[in-house]
Amino acid sequence: MERWRTYGFVAGFLAVPIVLYTVFVISPYVQAFQISLTDWNGIAARPAYVGLDNFGRLLGDEVFWRALRNHGILLLVLPIATIVIALFFAFVLNLGGGARGPGMAGVRGSGFYRVVFFFPQVLAVAVVGVLFKAVYRPDESGVINGALIRLGMEPVGWLIEPDLALWSIIAVMVWQAVGFYVVLFSAGMAAIPKDYFEAAALDGAGRVRLFFSITLPLLRDTVQVGWVYLGIAAFDGFALIQVLAGEKGEPDGATTVLPIEIWKNAFSYSKVGYASAMGVALFFLTVTFAVLTLRTTRRERIDL
Amino acid sequence: MTPDSLRSVRQARSSRSLPADRPRPGVLNGLSHAALAVWALLIVAPLLWTFLASFKSNTEIFGDALQLPGELRLDAWGRAWGKAHVGRYLLNTAVVVAVSTFGTMLFGSMAAYVLARYRFPGSRVIYYYFTAGMAFPVFLALGPLFFVVKRVGLLYTHTGVILVYIAYSLPFTVFFLAAFFRTLPESVAEAARIDGASHTRTFFQIMLPMARAGLVSITIFNVLGQWNQYLLPLVLLARDQEDWVITQGIANISTLAGYEADWPGLFAAVCMAVLPVLVVYVVFQRQIQSGLGAGALK
Amino acid sequence: MTHPGEITRRQLIRRIGLAALVVGPGAGLLSGCATGGGEEPAAPVTSATGSADPRNPFGVDARKPLKVTIFSGGYGDAYAKEIHEALYKKEFPGAAVEHNATQQISTQLRPLFVSGDVPDVVNNSGPQALDLVALAEQGHLADLTALFDAPSIDDPAKKIRDVVTPAVLDNAKIDGKDLVLNYTVSHRALWYNAKLFAAKGWTVPRTWAEFTALGDKAKAEGILLFAYPGQKGPYYQLWNVLYTAAKIGGNQAVIDIDNLVDGAWKTEPVKQAVTAWVDIQAKYGDKAYFGLDHTQTQVKHLQDKLLFYPVGSWIENEMAKDKPDGFEYAIAPIPDVTAADKMPYGAIQVGVGENFFVAARGKNPQGGLEYLRIMLSKDGARGFTEKTQNLTVVNGAAEGLDLPPGLRSAAKAQDAAGQNIITDARFEGWYKELFDYGTEQINVVMAGRITPDEFCSRMQAKADTIKKDGSVPKQTRGE
Repeated sequence: MERWRTYGFVAGFLAVPIVLYTVFVISPYVQAFQISLTDWNGIAARPAYVGLDNFGRLLGDEVFWRALRNHGILLLVLPIATIVIALFFAFVLNLGGGARGPGMAGVRGSGFYRVVFFFPQVLAVAVVGVLFKAVYRPDESGVINGALIRLGMEPVGWLIEPDLALWSIIAVMVWQAVGFYVVLFSAGMAAIPKDYFEAAALDGAGRVRLFFSITLPLLRDTVQVGWVYLGIAAFDGFALIQVLAGEKGEPDGATTVLPIEIWKNAFSYSKVGYASAMGVALFFLTVTFAVLTLRTTRRERIDL
Repeated sequence: MTPDSLRSVRQARSSRSLPADRPRPGVLNGLSHAALAVWALLIVAPLLWTFLASFKSNTEIFGDALQLPGELRLDAWGRAWGKAHVGRYLLNTAVVVAVSTFGTMLFGSMAAYVLARYRFPGSRVIYYYFTAGMAFPVFLALGPLFFVVKRVGLLYTHTGVILVYIAYSLPFTVFFLAAFFRTLPESVAEAARIDGASHTRTFFQIMLPMARAGLVSITIFNVLGQWNQYLLPLVLLARDQEDWVITQGIANISTLAGYEADWPGLFAAVCMAVLPVLVVYVVFQRQIQSGLGAGALK
Repeated sequence: MTHPGEITRRQLIRRIGLAALVVGPGAGLLSGCATGGGEEPAAPVTSATGSADPRNPFGVDARKPLKVTIFSGGYGDAYAKEIHEALYKKEFPGAAVEHNATQQISTQLRPLFVSGDVPDVVNNSGPQALDLVALAEQGHLADLTALFDAPSIDDPAKKIRDVVTPAVLDNAKIDGKDLVLNYTVSHRALWYNAKLFAAKGWTVPRTWAEFTALGDKAKAEGILLFAYPGQKGPYYQLWNVLYTAAKIGGNQAVIDIDNLVDGAWKTEPVKQAVTAWVDIQAKYGDKAYFGLDHTQTQVKHLQDKLLFYPVGSWIENEMAKDKPDGFEYAIAPIPDVTAADKMPYGAIQVGVGENFFVAARGKNPQGGLEYLRIMLSKDGARGFTEKTQNLTVVNGAAEGLDLPPGLRSAAKAQDAAGQNIITDARFEGWYKELFDYGTEQINVVMAGRITPDEFCSRMQAKADTIKKDGSVPKQTRGE
């Protein structure tokens, strides 16, 4: 009796979420998987099944590999840069002020900085795009280049040099993400018992050592979680690249990522079948990344 | 630690570490202050520039970037408000996001709770079923999703968008909250059950309040994510311009700026979209940060 | 098409609606014989349409609603809302007109075509336009033969096909059927500030040597000779290079590219054209423009930071709001590249644009055809020109209108060009992937990251891939 009541409760709680999720998320994706096996052009009433042809073509598509390479770069650089910068700021904001009052404190003005650093997080990608187009403009009307020219330097083509564009975009992603992780890591640091620091300080440890011997090891879990989030963000990155670099991952496709190629093939070239095959590939890549990361961190579950 | 022992600790430390440590904090302090100031500047400068640009003329915008507007022109703000319907879009977005975030949190926490704390056949399968959704790229589903929403008769309605937002926010919400619920102590729930509280009551009156910190942080995540959502409304609210959300509005003005060369108008619209969010954020920042923080402790 | 010799000059001028503007001798021919391929409009065919009533030739149900979707780009959508739809409502007061303006044509409309809830009339333009060939294959496009054979609203004795410029009939064809209506006329070449030239005492260069000499003079004054937008508008430069190739080697150079002829990208004229412009960019260009989009570049143009800008006649209206008094748009033909160019100095590109179609499986295709017929009336066309300062394909519709100086200069240039009209490249609509690749690669070669030879090889390789790709339906055009 009790058991059945429990099952009834479980079913009652799960019913609505499962229905919503199945109808609006799973069913479209199942269709997308089907489409990846066809030559659908987005309009035809009855597309022909072509088996795995689309996937075969993918392997020979140079642009596909270029997109993968860019994902690789993003996957390495975005998390590392964001986490390093965020850890530094979190440390300075929370513990950098040395001993003030009881225990360690942040530097002066840390409240202000914490608020400001989080700003970019609340801006829509469309807004960030408009903003940084102006920042990166290649002549004196760009915010950066305007300053460079004032200082007597040559303007830099931030978004127009193929070797530079992806890095400029990664910089924007880091710019936007750091605030969130500062807050996240700050919270983690606040949770570290103060007497750890007291004791270490007693032994004459400087702040650099405090950071590496106490803060970092105790924050390990939080940092790993951050890594997973940023990794998933790296597989997306679509909207910002589209707004900043252009619909085709300009210049010369140097900034392209899989979502850009999917978009282009589906909406510009009417190759919906091929685009869906790319989407399926992207899906498996993301899953692989998530599983690998969780495995290597050897944790059954993630808890933030 | 008692005040006495604290004092002695500090005295001991200062007496011991003084000679070796003295000069380093100065340099470090200076460096860290500089770094903080630079980063703050990096964040504030583009925002400020955009704000100023909304008062400039086209010619000024494409002239020297570091120049202030020649005069205080307010007409761009008028155009953005009148022609670009920014106010209307903000209101639409607020309504949609408020309802969908509430729904996401309600259904997400319900699902996460039973998945985390009840053993029943298939619970792991359902858990993975939900979390797999995090790996789907949204726009892959755009085309088929259109037909799904059409078939249930909710195309071009805010209700449809809200349900879709909820559905797409569930994977991460369930993933996050399930982990959170697992960490809550078993004893409290047990005590409630012994007192004769039903499962439902235990959830709403005991477990949810205990999970408050986690709920706050994931709510913020969802508000931000849904507020900034662009692709879904683009397809699902394509028809009636008065139903649009703010991201559609900004994208539209951004494209129009290309055709009509109204850059000050674009920047004014961007400011209008940003200001309310910033104000809300600054007002609530304490709660947001402590919520995120409390979430992080778990 | 009629042989140009058979048409009097006055007829020709009237055809493009510029009778009021004629200056000097010469014959302006709108479509250019080279774009050819269109059949001579069949003389009096019996009206094979739905109704005998010349005022309602398609038998429109006066109470049926009509759905219109307009690409809202450089021309905005006011012309549709305030002119064409208003005229339709005047004719059928009982009919509701549902208006929808968008820039995301493909994102919004494609699901509708699959589900069947399509708009009746679509202006399918812009960077995200729907694939017309794919739509045609699925039978989504209504046959416009009935429209072209219907009586004109202004003169029921005349058929529509007789009151529009012949290029409309050429460009209407997909797989041999009349399915698309091109509505606007534009002139493409190099645009400059006539007042600046007058003030400095400069003349428009006729040869490449004069062109570069002017470049040196301008450089001394801190003005660039030439720039194109590297963002969003690199296709302006792709057009420019293709038109230059046509100038050097005749329209066949472009026609072969359209027809995916083997080696068409590696011909001497194409190579010469690319090389000529790459050299200009290297010696007289500024790489900052690779990072600017079309509007930003056009603002710089208005500030006299550059002399020549490769674009079409819509530029004047696009920038009207920002145009200072010291600026007057005028068109300059591409200078002679070699001494032996196939086309003489003065050749410019004149073409039709903005693709309208009627959905065959919409709820009101008759209403859609009638809507197009209204667009092609004098009132409809004149209203468009007044709203957008751009010409339509309707003959003589702009007569008596006060046109801006840029358009007058275009008319003059066309008059001077006579039969030497450069054809437009059709592969832009046929093989979008090739065109997109071209817009990418033109930036690469202009920036000096590859040589002109490499550009030609890459384009040829891409064209060969498209040619071999069985999933891409092929189109061909005649001489």
